[in-house]
Amino acid sequence: MKPAPFDYVAPRTVEEACQLLSEAGGGATVLAGGQTLMPLLALRMSQPFIIVDINRIAALQGVSKVSGGTRIGPVTRQNDALVDPTLKQALPVLVTALSHVGHHQTRNRGTIGGSIALGEPAAEMPATAVALGAKIEARSVRGVRSIAAEDLYLGPYMTTLEPDELVTGIDYPEWPAGTTPVFREVARRPGDFALIGLVGALGVEDGRITRAGLGWFGMGATPIKARQAEQALLGQSVSGIDVQAIAELAVADTAPFDDHHASADYRQRVGKRVFARALAEALDIRQAA
Amino acid sequence: MSAPGTGAARYIGQRVPRKEDARLLTGRGQFVDDVAVPGMLHIAFARSPIARGRIVSIDTSAARDLPGVHAVFTYEDIKDQQADFLSFYLAPIEVRVTPLADGRVAHVGDPVALVVAQDRYVAEDAVSLIEVAYEEEDPVVTLDDARNNPSIHPDAESNIAADMGDEDIDDNLQALLDNAPHLITHKVIHQRISQSPMETRGVVAVPEGPEELTVYITCQSPHAVARWLSLVLGMPQGSIRVIAKDVGGSFGLKNHPWREETSAILAARKLGRPIKWIEDRLENLTAANQAREQEMTLRVAFDAEAKLVASHGDYSVNNGAYPLGADANIAVHMFIWPAYKMPAYSFLSRGWYTNTIGLAAYRGPWAMESLARETALDAAARKIGVDPIEIRRRNLISLKDQPATSGLGVYVDDITPAECLEKLLQNFDVAAFRAEQAAARKEGRYLGLGIATYIEPTGAAGSISVMTGELAQLRIEPTGKVTAMMSTHSQGHGTQTTMAQVIADRLGVPYDDVTVFEGDSSRGGYTPGAAGSRQGVIGGGAAIKASELLADKVKRLAAHLLNANTESIRIEAGMVHVEGAPEMSRTLRSIAETAYGEPDKLPQDFEAGLEAQYRYTPPPVTFTSAAHACVVEVDIDTGFVKIQRWISSEDCGTVIHPAVVEGQIAGGLAQAIGTVLLEEMSFDDRGNPTAATYKDYMLPAISDVPTFEFLHANTPSKSVGGIRGVGEGGAIIGPPTLVNAIADALSQFGELPVDLPLTPSKLLDFIEGRPVRKPKEAKRAPPTPASPPPSAPQPAAAAAPSATAVSADGDWAMTIHSQMGAQEMKARFSTEGGRLTGKLMSDQGDQEFEGRAAGDTVAWEMKVTKPVSLTLKYDLKIEGDKLSGKVKMGIFGTSKVTGERL
Repeated sequence: MKPAPFDYVAPRTVEEACQLLSEAGGGATVLAGGQTLMPLLALRMSQPFIIVDINRIAALQGVSKVSGGTRIGPVTRQNDALVDPTLKQALPVLVTALSHVGHHQTRNRGTIGGSIALGEPAAEMPATAVALGAKIEARSVRGVRSIAAEDLYLGPYMTTLEPDELVTGIDYPEWPAGTTPVFREVARRPGDFALIGLVGALGVEDGRITRAGLGWFGMGATPIKARQAEQALLGQSVSGIDVQAIAELAVADTAPFDDHHASADYRQRVGKRVFARALAEALDIRQAA
Repeated sequence: MSAPGTGAARYIGQRVPRKEDARLLTGRGQFVDDVAVPGMLHIAFARSPIARGRIVSIDTSAARDLPGVHAVFTYEDIKDQQADFLSFYLAPIEVRVTPLADGRVAHVGDPVALVVAQDRYVAEDAVSLIEVAYEEEDPVVTLDDARNNPSIHPDAESNIAADMGDEDIDDNLQALLDNAPHLITHKVIHQRISQSPMETRGVVAVPEGPEELTVYITCQSPHAVARWLSLVLGMPQGSIRVIAKDVGGSFGLKNHPWREETSAILAARKLGRPIKWIEDRLENLTAANQAREQEMTLRVAFDAEAKLVASHGDYSVNNGAYPLGADANIAVHMFIWPAYKMPAYSFLSRGWYTNTIGLAAYRGPWAMESLARETALDAAARKIGVDPIEIRRRNLISLKDQPATSGLGVYVDDITPAECLEKLLQNFDVAAFRAEQAAARKEGRYLGLGIATYIEPTGAAGSISVMTGELAQLRIEPTGKVTAMMSTHSQGHGTQTTMAQVIADRLGVPYDDVTVFEGDSSRGGYTPGAAGSRQGVIGGGAAIKASELLADKVKRLAAHLLNANTESIRIEAGMVHVEGAPEMSRTLRSIAETAYGEPDKLPQDFEAGLEAQYRYTPPPVTFTSAAHACVVEVDIDTGFVKIQRWISSEDCGTVIHPAVVEGQIAGGLAQAIGTVLLEEMSFDDRGNPTAATYKDYMLPAISDVPTFEFLHANTPSKSVGGIRGVGEGGAIIGPPTLVNAIADALSQFGELPVDLPLTPSKLLDFIEGRPVRKPKEAKRAPPTPASPPPSAPQPAAAAAPSATAVSADGDWAMTIHSQMGAQEMKARFSTEGGRLTGKLMSDQGDQEFEGRAAGDTVAWEMKVTKPVSLTLKYDLKIEGDKLSGKVKMGIFGTSKVTGERL
């Protein structure tokens, strides 16, 4: 478990990093927190010619309020984000989801952008970005573009990012105060990737659902937006929601598979229950408030 | 004869600070990867990606040409050096095992070639340049595959690696089972386990000139490794020094070296350079030997009062391709019923070869007996309609029922599982729990209570030749401080602490003044080390005996120097006192200075210095008993299990260090939780491991392990010091306790199949009435086997007498190659027509027999009474001046016999 030989560069600016990625012609890998990359290198499952370490680029770090929402720099450490007062106020469900990412020790190094760019389908951060409608800013020597999170993922560890592109920011839209967070995760052990994960937010005004963003993780080859359930919830009066029926619709959008830890059948069967429990609980809390 | 140095125990039983903690907790331990030797090279292995096949060609040229590579070896390159592999019992391995694959591979991960390079990085680069062409064959993966296919090994008759017991059930037992008012048939499936020590295997082999060798290796006993290497490599033992200072866990995996460690040593000797091999985690999970993977069908018959009538066990264990000694695990059957009033038991036990990683020990290698028995008792209690506690009360052997001897000859006279259970119940309100359970059920919450009891054989010595006593060599240095060379060895056991406690206590010196040295074969003497929960019992006994000898010596000298009676001398806190004369007190140091430096002042015949040693052999077995209770809640929507409470009530005799005892139990219970809920090493149809990292091989994390409660009973054992072993118990009693709790929680859904691990997926399938395990078709052998079956020896019987038959008459040197080692004897045959008379002569005594002779075969039966009563059936074939064949030894299975004419 020793990596194959590679070159290593640690640029100080985004421009420099993009230049390096461009020159590498697809042979480069970006190193952020390294919590996935380092094991993959050690197992020789990843054998890049050059590693571009972006940890020294100050512009890629930190959380800021921007017009229309919140921006997270991709090299922001998960543990820093977890205690960030801006995030806690603006995106409480993101903070809840973060507390389930790996373990305290891995969160000290792991980054928000690293997790999002990697695209592990059972991870919390990609699904949270999809559910909340985040946009991913990608930059290269060719220019800048903004990718809707739900358009980013093609399959496990496969994204629409080009090899020369660097994630330079994650933009989360504003979810107004009073938004109800929804989060549930079923994992074999705390810190493991999810067997079933549900994350999202519901906007409620005057007893009606006005906005719904719900995403699954661990329920298919990519994070999955529960589009049918979102549609069905919109405009509904909270008191009249048929939780079971919505859960049925939510699971209909998933496409899980069998693996070493659980069958696809288990994931859908339990996923429906988890969704129903989470939705009922979220709305009860809302009603009681 | 001698009283201990002091009256009251001051250190035994105390939670003193561990001597190991300072270095281990600050990262200053010396593990094998911490060893660096000048000029050291590094090894990486090229391993088979297929489970079974023939090696067509190996091209190492590109690897050899890589800068930084010193050598690339295949089996052809090292086969000139002796490597005759032996089991833990130092018996020859049944099938041919080579350090690197010789022409065939038998499991994924089978080492095919090795690279020696300047560092591990270059070595791994070079491994990826080695090109191996294989002719792949269909692998035999599961127990079912093994049963239904020809042998995977060209030199084995079948896939049966080892067998014991009887294929045909005795008519009387069958009648008991058939006619009993209640009979349950209980099948238990135990998954394969990776021992997963925190420190993986590893070795630094340092040739010291052509004839000597220093080996740093992570192991369970440096002495046992030195002995093993000496025999395997054909080197004098005195030329091998084995050092293992700190070891990060082993759990049976590192009982002795295996193919990779041996390969590294051979490479070091061949190149004359120090070589390091550290197993990485990928190798540890996919190529280090593994454990368990067993199935057992236990039938238990009860009378109308739920009292035991009879039982039969049918057991299989996957031995993989190259087990560390083929095993049918007779201990499962030996220890399944001795704690219960079980009138009749018989069994069939088999170990099977497959194209998977070989079998090794794991904490409580026979633990399947407790899992099968205790879960069967709960299933029976539910079926018969009695309480699970009541069924145990009616059947457990309590102190007043002892001594007692089980049907298989296990003698017990001081086991206390029944007493441990009563103590447990005094501390756990079962009635209150049942009320809580009923109330929770109404809210849709499913609580369960699991109870199990067990006994564990510990501190075994004397019955198997490698399981010796333990040696303590003590010295009061001229400084007055005490050093002890112990044959014990710690893989986390804290023996430097516990042995120092015993010595300080019995010698009468401060704990801080005692330093224990272990972990080096050049210190102390031979012992198997940590194997079978033995070090506290035997090492503790040796430390006590040696301390007493040394205290006597101090007293004799002090009495002489101080002109007092020996009986009036006391040693306390490093001071030597004369009863009633406080002004006479001396420090131990001043006595020691005289003992070493002033020979004129010593009594006549007094050996200078203050040194003593004792090799203690305890009673053959010392039993530990326990009863555990566990409370769980099962979420019936998800199948997740939450452990709410766990109480251990154990009797390990004298407790040297409560925290060490509780640490041993807790560690075993953590492994039990992993076994029942999480861990699973499995293989796909092609024999590929399905878990290659800890993402997929799920060890319990601290969040999965509750805070355990401990109750200690302290029935002293008959060994010196009254200590009982406690190393394995948690891993043995933990699984049935937890399974019983889950089964109790879910009892309304039916009888839970014991098919480990009980994953959320499986539990949900059970709760919702789906099959827990999808039936898997066993691979059937094609009509023509893929590889030609080996030429089996002709059956001895029924050969027609022939005029030209070779005569068996005369004297023979004969060897029985049993799993416990080779037994040498002399045989004398005399034939007359079809009649054979003869005599076997060994150091156990002589015995005559009569049998049959036909052509070139002889066959006879004889009864023996040691170690237990059984009938031996010999079947031998004479070829000129050689003989070969088998002896069937009742429940102990069949062994090969070879011999030569004298």
